[in-house]
Amino acid sequence: MTPIITAVLVLSALSGILTLLLLVAEFFFANYGECTIDVNKGDKTYKVEGGASLLTSLASQKLFLPSGCGGRGSCGTCKCRVLDGGGPLLPTETPYLNDEEQKSDVRLACQVKVRSDIKIEVPEELLSIKEFETVIESITDFTHDIKGLRFKLPEGETIKFKAGQFANLFSKPYEDVKEETSRAYSISSSPSDNKAIELVVRYVPNGMVTTYVFKHLKQGDKARLIGPFGEFFLRDTSREIVCIAGGSGLAPIRSIVLDMIDRGISNRKATFFFGAVSQRDLYYVEEFKAIEKEHPWFRFVPALSKDDSDHPYEKGIITDVVARNYGDMKDLEAYLCGSPGMIDACCKVLSSKGMPADRIYYDKFS
Amino acid sequence: MKQTPELDRVQEKMRPGVLTLKGFLGNDDRKLADIIAADQQALLRLRINADQIAERLQDLADRGADLMEQEVQVDNRYLIRVRDDRGKIPSPWEDGLFEKGDVDLVDQQTGKALKWNRLTLRLIAKHRFFGGYGSEYRIDPDVAYEILALKPFVDRSPEAI
Ligand SMILES: Cc1cc2nc3c(=O)[nH]c(=O)nc-3n(C[C@H](O)[C@H](O)[C@H](O)COP(=O)(O)OP(=O)(O)OC[C@H]3O[C@@H](n4cnc5c(N)ncnc54)[C@H](O)[C@@H]3O)c2cc1C
Ligand code: FES
Repeated sequence: MTPIITAVLVLSALSGILTLLLLVAEFFFANYGECTIDVNKGDKTYKVEGGASLLTSLASQKLFLPSGCGGRGSCGTCKCRVLDGGGPLLPTETPYLNDEEQKSDVRLACQVKVRSDIKIEVPEELLSIKEFETVIESITDFTHDIKGLRFKLPEGETIKFKAGQFANLFSKPYEDVKEETSRAYSISSSPSDNKAIELVVRYVPNGMVTTYVFKHLKQGDKARLIGPFGEFFLRDTSREIVCIAGGSGLAPIRSIVLDMIDRGISNRKATFFFGAVSQRDLYYVEEFKAIEKEHPWFRFVPALSKDDSDHPYEKGIITDVVARNYGDMKDLEAYLCGSPGMIDACCKVLSSKGMPADRIYYDKFS
Repeated sequence: MKQTPELDRVQEKMRPGVLTLKGFLGNDDRKLADIIAADQQALLRLRINADQIAERLQDLADRGADLMEQEVQVDNRYLIRVRDDRGKIPSPWEDGLFEKGDVDLVDQQTGKALKWNRLTLRLIAKHRFFGGYGSEYRIDPDVAYEILALKPFVDRSPEAI
């Protein structure tokens, strides 16, 4: 072995041992004591025991930042501004922060450790995110693989959200799943129905949370929800709107339509294109047809891509159906909900019809 | 190939109930390093490489995508259906989140089936991991060779495999 290789090996071993010693020392001896987290220049202040990540410390105080990876530092969704006390930017954060964000002290809350008093800034809406210990009021079979769930909030509690937003539903440990696990589900009820939350859940074969919902959750069970989250909601304009969804993507669109009715928004034409393979995948049809009858500004267009039976619905892939229903779409705005593939396909059709990209709304996180 | 502490950590994450309900290893109780090494040997024997498999599967997935889950016949041979699921799944190597949305392929010539998604392709292309025996998501190199009509790879150096 050459002396250079030996030196490199010795150095690597030494630095490894040092890191290990530091970690052990931090574990046993580091006592950061009580630290104060100041949120939005004194809007809220929390006293926490130092040592945990900012994300966890805030969650312990019921301030929930979005988290797509459960704090593993691999999704970049837990961003917030750390104005003071956050320590240096870590290499684990830089891949998720652009130059602008780095200059304005944006950090990943799951990577920042609370070691001293700390001052942070978060979007105002996050302060209205709450945790709810709910009870399952009802579970309805909508289709062979879609269920509707209604969660009753605790007595006296209400939820404030914008139609289109989502909540995180937690499954309890079951079978091989040893920890609580959460997934995002769009709220399907109207914001005015604020003592309960309705969700539409589609079964994903062998999915951790959907298997729990389909095989273990029963009416009367307790369930934990956190929300609302998300930037997908009806924009306050007077433009005509087109909504396109498939499968469980119907959920946020239903919330938007019910909200328009509740808020008396009748000056905007709205058409909801709902794509499915065959009739067995359709649900809420009666409800949307009834809305259509009562509110002339609303039109419901279910479309079946593969159903040769005699049915009253449009035939074909939903994007083709949208394309043949419109000429120029430059003055409309669109609300899409579905898989990234479906969103891409819809965006292509809408922009080919002249709709500007900044008027096409969907959950980027999905 | 040696089972490093990193592979130990990855293998822990592959257990049922950690990242996914059934995990990534099926009923395979070999060490992760041995699973990867055995599949490398199979690729060498078949004279194909992991990237070829991943690229072919991606191409087939693209041709079944954006059809609102409708089954489609591709290349006069395969029936393909791509699920429209939302959400992302983390890699056991902690190197990213990958869109859910499984692709189910049935080869009409042999009746054999394959199931994969973007994470499966990442695990194949980046980590040379094809799944444990008995895992629904295993892309067995021999089966892939048989049904994906792959041409032998020209560069036979082990690095290229
Ligand atoms: C903003 C947002 C809103 C959403 N709203 C809704 C909604 O209203 N309704 C709804 O039903 N869903 C919704 N979703 C999706 C939802 O959050 C979940 O992702 C979905 O329900 C599946 O969760 P799960 O825990 O059951 O599956 P998971 O366990 O998270 O994932 C299952 C998937 O993991 C992959 N997988 C499993 N094992 C392996 C393996 N060995 N190798 C490779 N891959 C593997 C497969 O793709 C499988 O399908 C939404 C998602 C987002 C981001
Ligand atoms: S929670 Fe995913 S990066 Fe912080």
